[in-house]
Amino acid sequence: MNPLRSPAISAVGRALPPHRADQETLIAAFRELWAKQHFNVERLEDLHRAVRVGGRNLALPLDQYPALDTFQKRNDAWIRAARSLGAEAVRRALEAARLPVEAVDHLFFITVTGVATPSVDALLVNDLGLRADLKRTPIFGLGCVGGAAGIARAADYLRGFPGHTAVLLSVELCSLTLQREDLSIPNIIASGLFGDGAAAVVLQGGDARPSRPRVPRVVATRAVFYRDTERIMGWDVVDTGFKVVLSAKVPSLVKERIRGDVDAFLAEHGLDRSRIAHWVAHTGGPKVLRAFEEALELPPSALERSHRSLEETGNLSSASVLFVLGELMDVEGEPPREGDLGLLLAMGPGFCSELVLLRW
Amino acid sequence: MVSPEDDVRQQALGEIRRILGEELAVAAAVEPGKALVADLHLDSMELLTLAVGLENRFRVKLNEADGAGVKTVDDLANLVARRVCEGRA
Repeated sequence: MNPLRSPAISAVGRALPPHRADQETLIAAFRELWAKQHFNVERLEDLHRAVRVGGRNLALPLDQYPALDTFQKRNDAWIRAARSLGAEAVRRALEAARLPVEAVDHLFFITVTGVATPSVDALLVNDLGLRADLKRTPIFGLGCVGGAAGIARAADYLRGFPGHTAVLLSVELCSLTLQREDLSIPNIIASGLFGDGAAAVVLQGGDARPSRPRVPRVVATRAVFYRDTERIMGWDVVDTGFKVVLSAKVPSLVKERIRGDVDAFLAEHGLDRSRIAHWVAHTGGPKVLRAFEEALELPPSALERSHRSLEETGNLSSASVLFVLGELMDVEGEPPREGDLGLLLAMGPGFCSELVLLRW
Repeated sequence: MVSPEDDVRQQALGEIRRILGEELAVAAAVEPGKALVADLHLDSMELLTLAVGLENRFRVKLNEADGAGVKTVDDLANLVARRVCEGRA
């Protein structure tokens, strides 16, 4: 495969909602709720501090959440916020790629935190003035792996249509899925870890000439499914919405599987881990990032961007890995050099992983 | 005659069995001598769920230093009994 004819990632646009709350403010807001059922509230506060998240940007002001006491109210709020935040991310991405809105041929929309029909991508055709012949692919349910999987699927599409431009939009508003009455440990951990955000990625087929110099190209992708691990992560869809399924086995599964999967993928392309200059890892949480570092024998600085992103915004599910990619592409000072290789990787419900080999 | 500490120990054993069976779907028999990690294969989140469940039921706090000496179901039931009786003293 000629890497210069591979789909290019021309830009990443990132958007965070405006309502910033630091972790201690959120802990204080949860304390009363936890005390309804739990005796040792300090233990739960420590859990929220242990996820190494400094704060989150929320879709709504903090004081508006208690009134969202039904699935319908939360999902209605989700549609409104997803629509405006998604539009902002797409506008920023197109501006950074120096492309007009009319250039977009295909919009992939990824989420796992809300539902809408017509889907948010359809709403954005109106809001952004996208073309009437735009192809749309809304994808629900991939969870944290969705950002990596979305890049891979968009790249697949562009190999078939090398003259086209695709936008991958991920919007995750995790705060609007919170089950306030679920005081289980997995839900308490999730409420400390997950945040809200949107990221849009502009990808151009191999026939296009990206307007920005030195952008990464999607050289190859790999999906890996781990059989019989359905209860590791996901949602139980209940009357009140999405109830989190989160197992402590995620880091050990990463440790067991990721090294073999990455090595096999790279070997297929005549590469090994020493050739990868840039690691773009999903910010699953501090234990998941440590598992990546240990299993892949990465130097301490390799996942610095992922750690920083986790600290600044929390885990943004499918958008997280796109935020990390955007930060790498927009870095000032020492940006990636021509010929550099990168590996973008994420894991999510299934359980599964998606690997994307990049070349600058 | 059963001492107050023995009585709480038995209650704690019952609660451990309930949490493991009902909340954590542990299928193995929960005997007092079974090791929580080596035999029952509890992971960190399940251990935490167990500890929090016992704290809520018996209104005691179990800290990290306590956990260092707890290997088996019996160790955990003894710890809860000790904490409850310390609170009563």
